[in-house]
Amino acid sequence: MFEAIGTLLSSESLYTSAFQLSVLFVFAASGEWVAERAGTLNISVEGMLLAGAFGAVVGHQWVASSFMGLAVGALGGLSVAVVHANLSHRLTANQFVVGLALNVLVLGLTAFLDGSFDFGPARADVVRLPLVADVPLLGEALGNRPWPAYLAYPLIPALWWAVFRTRWGLEVRSVGENPQAADVSGIDVNARRRQAIYVTGLTCGLGGAFMVLGQVGTFQSGIINGRGFIAIAAVIFGGWTLRGTVIGCIVFGFVEALTIAIPANRYSIDPFILDAAPYIVALTVVLAFAARVRAPNALAQPFTRGLT
Amino acid sequence: MSKGENRKSLVARFATRDTGVAIGLYVLSLSAAIFVSALLVAATGGSATAVFDALLDGSLRSQGAWGLTLTTSAPLLLVAVGTIVATRAGLVNIGQEGQLLIGTCVAAYFAVRVGGPGWFVIAVALLAGAAGGGAWAGIAAGLRAWRNVPEVLTTLLLTFVAFPLMTFGLRQSWLLKDRDTERMNQLNSGERLPANANLPDLMIFGNSIDSGFFVAIGLAFVLTVMVGRTVLGSRIDMLGFNPRAAQRFGVSAGPLSAAVLIGSGATAGVAGAVLLTGGAASDRLVFGFSGNFGWDGLLVALLARNRVMLAIPMAFVFAMLRTGSSFLAATGVDRKMTDVVQALLVLALLLPPALLFIRDRRRSLAPSNLAVSSAPIAVEVS
Amino acid sequence: MVNLNEQPAVAVRGLTKRYGEVVACSQIDLDLKRGEIHGVLGENGAGKSTLMKVLIGLVQPDEGTIDVDGERCRIDSPSRAGLLGIGMVHQHFSLVDELRVWENVVLGERERLDAKHARGLVASIGERYGLTVDPDARVGDLTAGLRQRVEIIKCLRRDPSIVIFDEPTSVLTPQESEQLFEVLRVAVEREGKAVALVSHKLDEIRQATDMVTILRRGAVVDHGPTNRFDQQALAQAMVGREVSLRGDQAAALGLTGAVLAAAGAAKSRPASASPIVLSVDGAVLDRHGHRVLDGVDIKLRAGEIVGIAGVEGNGQVELADVLSSLVALDAGTVSVDGGVVVTGHAGEMAVAGIGMIPEDRHDAGCVLNMSVAENLALGSIGAGRAFRRMDRVAMRDAALRLIDRYEIRCSGPDAPFESLSGGNQQRVVLARELSAQPKVLVASQPTRGLDVGAIEFMGEQLRAAAHDGVGVLLISSELEEILHLADRILVMHSGRIVGAMNRSEADVETIGLMMGGVAVDQMTGQMGQHV
Repeated sequence: MFEAIGTLLSSESLYTSAFQLSVLFVFAASGEWVAERAGTLNISVEGMLLAGAFGAVVGHQWVASSFMGLAVGALGGLSVAVVHANLSHRLTANQFVVGLALNVLVLGLTAFLDGSFDFGPARADVVRLPLVADVPLLGEALGNRPWPAYLAYPLIPALWWAVFRTRWGLEVRSVGENPQAADVSGIDVNARRRQAIYVTGLTCGLGGAFMVLGQVGTFQSGIINGRGFIAIAAVIFGGWTLRGTVIGCIVFGFVEALTIAIPANRYSIDPFILDAAPYIVALTVVLAFAARVRAPNALAQPFTRGLT
Repeated sequence: MSKGENRKSLVARFATRDTGVAIGLYVLSLSAAIFVSALLVAATGGSATAVFDALLDGSLRSQGAWGLTLTTSAPLLLVAVGTIVATRAGLVNIGQEGQLLIGTCVAAYFAVRVGGPGWFVIAVALLAGAAGGGAWAGIAAGLRAWRNVPEVLTTLLLTFVAFPLMTFGLRQSWLLKDRDTERMNQLNSGERLPANANLPDLMIFGNSIDSGFFVAIGLAFVLTVMVGRTVLGSRIDMLGFNPRAAQRFGVSAGPLSAAVLIGSGATAGVAGAVLLTGGAASDRLVFGFSGNFGWDGLLVALLARNRVMLAIPMAFVFAMLRTGSSFLAATGVDRKMTDVVQALLVLALLLPPALLFIRDRRRSLAPSNLAVSSAPIAVEVS
Repeated sequence: MVNLNEQPAVAVRGLTKRYGEVVACSQIDLDLKRGEIHGVLGENGAGKSTLMKVLIGLVQPDEGTIDVDGERCRIDSPSRAGLLGIGMVHQHFSLVDELRVWENVVLGERERLDAKHARGLVASIGERYGLTVDPDARVGDLTAGLRQRVEIIKCLRRDPSIVIFDEPTSVLTPQESEQLFEVLRVAVEREGKAVALVSHKLDEIRQATDMVTILRRGAVVDHGPTNRFDQQALAQAMVGREVSLRGDQAAALGLTGAVLAAAGAAKSRPASASPIVLSVDGAVLDRHGHRVLDGVDIKLRAGEIVGIAGVEGNGQVELADVLSSLVALDAGTVSVDGGVVVTGHAGEMAVAGIGMIPEDRHDAGCVLNMSVAENLALGSIGAGRAFRRMDRVAMRDAALRLIDRYEIRCSGPDAPFESLSGGNQQRVVLARELSAQPKVLVASQPTRGLDVGAIEFMGEQLRAAAHDGVGVLLISSELEEILHLADRILVMHSGRIVGAMNRSEADVETIGLMMGGVAVDQMTGQMGQHV
């Protein structure tokens, strides 16, 4: 048995697929991290990812460039974010209902449009990063991937800097901890919350686009398949810190990669365990960490002064 | 007060200018949703009127349609009713789809194994469904009680665990797989329920209404009474409004929240059992059995603003979209269109209350105009 | 240096604000001049806070004009007020606990975030005004007095010409209040600002202000140089009727001296005769890694009023939470009439006979969305079998009786609780707690936010309860209240009882030092180290 595990862990392809999935989670979860630091709980991440994926094929169809695919994908995620943010944090609709409805809407709309029009394949080129790709075992995973994956590398420090080193970030954090105090200090609470959600829309749009351009190559209705919710679990796993969230993404990416690699290598573990594994891990993690971490004080609590 | 005056004051109370504005907003909002849907249909080369007609035919106009719609609304209503009680207690349960699925599995397991007269099998199935759905929600309740994990996340994640779990069960003959080895069972479906284990139908005007509908209505009434008239109902309200005050006065959040959460899972489980033994879905367990009844039931509850009496017509509307969509194939428009229409309707229903809330707040905070303002809002003055 | 005859920094004329049918401010005129500390005196409910909210841009007036340095202005947001040079030191809502001091100080600014510059600001302003605080400390870890310093620095950092202090001394010990008044003096004399001090305490106004404007029921009843008014005149203007400067009213008016004099003359109740109704032994509670209750010992006898004095944030809230069944102790016991009560179990304290008038009734004292009748019956809803029918008729009848007896002003038992005024909401809480015939009544900051009439009423009720044999535990940060009502006084600091004395022995300075954490040997009056 240990031999089997050893073989598995020394195969480059495991790390490659783990990296791909982790990147997707990173795009989604890092954006959601910003939104949750602002005090919003955004369950339309699933819809944003899907809109990003669909946007990628549309963009690529229009102009045969993966750059266009990414751009339109980002716009797709952003449009879902715009609807969510304005319904929930300008018009005070219940953010859970809005999130759920948007997920259904995007799912139905993209499936409907995908069925009604013909979209060609959309893939981004693999680009090899010279030094990184030479690292043994992990090099292929980290340095020889479709180029959109590399956007995740600068994204994380960029988001960290935005939230901790800019005035905008300070205001976003204050809005998530104590919106009344922020309001009295002259900050437009709901504007910051909406902006945080727009960031989520952009990163998720990129993530969904990456899923198409860097992983699957076409759009399918089930391309996201619940991973948006795992991204939310990753934020909790990370205790609402960016570092923890990224670690969570890596963990979940790994788990999901294992669920593919194990049957592919003809080891027999019941498919149920494999399919359910990411979610069970997420559950376990949420369970283990819930008592010890501290959520932003105003998480999921709407704020109404200043909307009139 | 004479009857005439009484009636007048009732009308005067409801038919205010405010109500007119509210109704106007809803009409506007829903029309916009329908308009956008029509645009989408047209954009993909279909005919909006044909779609509209097909939906109406499928849900109401054709022979036996509205009976089928009522039958279809039953599981939606069951899910919604349980959710409403949970929401009143301040809980956020979004795992009804998984709870319904597990309930159905447990119901199927027992229904094909226990023998006896039809009504007995049905009763067992319904109870088993409740137990299964309740237990599944119970996991979330347990995690909430033990480690304070928010149920919004656990119920959601458990739904994603439920699906592979059912698939697993469907592959084992000792669990859910059809024990009849002679049947070609490539898709791993479950065993067919005994023929007598079918919820009886009521025939009215050529429409057959599954008795599951009456189970749902009955449960709706029972729960309305419980919530409105018993001390338990007031305790649930206390818990939902102010859990700390509830704790002070003896309403322990733990047991009551757990009970309510399990209860909402149980109603979802019953909804699954009703689907299994009734006429709205297959009489054997298949992959994808839950068919989004759980999600839709949740939406029904949220859109009915947690009022059981509103949930009944709302469930009917959602059911209309389902039964109507089966007629869409003839128009050449993708069935997914109804998902889009449904989502647009949900969003359309969210807008009017939100806009009204903003308008009321604006009124209460702006320079006052006593002639127009609604009831005086007391504010802490110091 | 400052010409006191030049035009006012802020001139308010005819300011009116209504909330539906309630008139919060009515035709108010106010002049704030540079180089002056202007007191705005009025009881709770007189409209002081609303007036200040208008000046700071949180609320829009219905009528009236505001001129800043002679120019007509419209203050429509806090940022606009800031641009006009108006700053306010808030009581509660302006600091974010999770951020550091320097982050809070620059919160709401427009310019680029620069940590070094911000830290420098904290140091320089601190030096100018005598307010030192560590710029990198997490605000949530600071004491109330230090947090107020951060608030002041935050306000002064914009160099406003007009600074408003809203009831600043409620979170301070007497010594800290003195220091604050010195800061105000510096602001006016050295920096030439216009300062407004909003308060309901006469002593404070007389001590610290140059000019005073007195509000009553939303209107200005008098104004002028402070030294033109004596205590009696101020009190009368504020309350609108003959006021005796002793007893309940003195306490309500913040007249420490008068209260103390009365306290000294009062007979102490015989303490040893009655049985102990409440005993808290070695109560220990840890929260978020801090020890918030550090071995609290309290003995309360039937018929006596024990006051727990102390600045907010020293464990009073947590103690009240324990006695409300909301929190379980990590060590120690609570006993009522000799029987130990399990802490943290829902409703146990109430069933054992502990009534509670909470600090924030909206927290655990009422259910806003329910009716008055339901709020009066919360105890019976929580007790007994769950599946019995709600007897709304009986509930309504009981409510009517209580509404009558406690003079609760509302449109009826079915009125939504949130439609009642603060004073009437407090009456509902009182009615419910007293009608349950408790053995112990805990009153936690019970008169906060109430006007003089309501304060008097509460004092009467507490004394009446004690007279009937109830043991009353009064937790308050208002020293006058404790000195006036309590037979015995305990002082709480950092989760411990650091001093105990009878009312007749009470000495404001000693208590003040204890509240600040200085160990005072009560026999010799010698001060020890900071506790």
